[in-house]
Amino acid sequence: MTVSIFLANIVFLTLIQAAIPRLLKKSIVFGVTIPEVNVEDQKLSTYKKIYSAITLLVGLIGILLFAFLGLGKQLQEEKIVITGLIVQFSILFVSMILYLYFHIQTTKRKRKMKWGENLKKVRVADLARRSNDEMLPSIIFALPMAITIGLIVYTISQYSAMPDMIPTHWGPNGQPDAFTEKNPFSVIALLLILLVMQGMMVAINTFTKKSGVKLNATKRNTSRIQQLSFRKYTSWFMFLTTILLTILFGFFQLTTIHGEFAGSMMMMVLPLAFLLVILLATALYAFKVGQGGSRIRTEVIDEETTGITDLDDDQYWKAGVFYVNKNDPSIFVEKRFGVGWTINFGNPIGYLILIGPLLIIFVISFLL
Amino acid sequence: MFIQIEPTSEIPIYTQLANQLIELIATGTLQTSEALPSVRSLAADLGVNMHTVNKAYHELEKKNIIQIIPKSGAVVNEISSTGPSDSQIEHIKQVMKPLIAESIVYGMDKKQILSIATSLISGIRRDEE
Repeated sequence: MTVSIFLANIVFLTLIQAAIPRLLKKSIVFGVTIPEVNVEDQKLSTYKKIYSAITLLVGLIGILLFAFLGLGKQLQEEKIVITGLIVQFSILFVSMILYLYFHIQTTKRKRKMKWGENLKKVRVADLARRSNDEMLPSIIFALPMAITIGLIVYTISQYSAMPDMIPTHWGPNGQPDAFTEKNPFSVIALLLILLVMQGMMVAINTFTKKSGVKLNATKRNTSRIQQLSFRKYTSWFMFLTTILLTILFGFFQLTTIHGEFAGSMMMMVLPLAFLLVILLATALYAFKVGQGGSRIRTEVIDEETTGITDLDDDQYWKAGVFYVNKNDPSIFVEKRFGVGWTINFGNPIGYLILIGPLLIIFVISFLL
Repeated sequence: MFIQIEPTSEIPIYTQLANQLIELIATGTLQTSEALPSVRSLAADLGVNMHTVNKAYHELEKKNIIQIIPKSGAVVNEISSTGPSDSQIEHIKQVMKPLIAESIVYGMDKKQILSIATSLISGIRRDEE
C-alpha cells in the first residue's frame, strides 16, 4: 500500500515538474520577463524542451528505482517511506538545478539580444475589475471552522468516555500507530491543528483577494479574463482543500471518540480518497487553468499594439522565484515558475501568514 | 476601462495616473458619481506604492474633479453645468502658456497649434466635432 501511494506521488510529481514550462504564461520564461514579440524564440523553446526532457528522465529513473526497491525486496515500512521521500526530493532538486541553469541562460540571452530595449515599458490596470472578481468570499472559508469548534465542544462533552490513549499518528492502512496519554489538551490537539489550517486558508483567501491583478499590456483583454478565472479557480481549489481537510480530520476525531464506528475499511479508504481527490484537483487546476489562467482559451481578440511591452520587474524577483518588492502592497503574487501563488517577501504580513500557523502546529505537536 | 502607466518615464507616476483618470472622465468612460478603485487595490494592480496612488487621488480632489469620502473611497464629481470657474480658467492658461510658447519656438504657427488642439479635442470628445 505504502509503495503504491508513494509511486502515485512520484509519478504525479514528475509529470507536473516536467510540464511546468507548458503551464506558464509565454511572457515569462524561467523566471525572466520576455517581450511578447520575442516569446517564440527558437533558443528559448529548446531550453524548455531540455528542461522537460531531463526532468522526465530523472523522474522515470526514480520511478523505476523505487518500484524495483519497493516491490522487489521485502523492505520495512520505514525504509520504503525514507526511500520514497529521497526519490521525491531528488527529482525536485534536479529540476531546481535545471531551473537555475536555464534562468541564467535566459537572462544572458535576453541581455545579448537586447530584447525589449527599444520598447516602451508599461503597466496596465483595469479600473472596473473589482466588480468582476469572482473569488469566493472569505466568510465561506470560515464556515468549516464552525464545524471544528462544534467538534471541540462535542469532544469535551465525551471526555470521560474516551480511551486512555489518544492516537497522534495514523499509518498507511488508516490504523493509529502512535499514541499519547489522555488529557484535556491531547484530546482536542488534532482539532486545534485543523482549526489553525482552516484559519490559514481564510487568511490566504482574504489576502489573495486583496492582491493585485497584473495584466499583460499587449494582451490586456485576454489576460484580464485569464487572470480573473485563475483567481476564481484558485479560491475554489483552496475551498475544496479546506472541506476535504475538515472531513478527514473530523472523521479521525470521531473514530478516536467512538472507536471504529465506520469500520476499518473506511479508515483505510478515506485517506486514500482524500489523496486521490487532491491529486486530481491539482492536475485539473494545473493543466486546465494553468498559471495565471494561461491555459484558458478566451473568445476575445486584443487590438494589435506595437511599441510597448510589460514593465520588466525582474529586479524584484531574486533568482526569478522570490519576489521582494516593498512598494507593492500585494501580499501574494503569482509564481513565476510553477502554478499558484507565492508571497511578497517585501511585506512582513506574508511571512506571518505562512510561518505563524506552521509554528503553532509545530508547538501543538511538540506539546503532545 | 484600462489605464496605462510608464514607470520608467520622466513624468512622475502620480501625474501620469492623474492625467489618465482625467482623460477617462473627459471621454465619459468614467461617469459622474462612479467610484474609483480603492488606493490599495489600484496600487496592487499597478505594483506601485500606495502613496503614489494616494497622491494622484489627492491631486484630483484638489482640482475638484473627484471627491474623497472617508471610509467609502473616491467618487467622480459632476462636471459643472455653469462652466469653469475663474480660477480654473486661470490655471489652464498658466499650464498652456509655456506649451504654446514652446510650440512657437519649434516654429509652429497659429493655424498649426489650433489644428492640433482641435484634433485632440475631437479625439477625446467624439460628439464635439
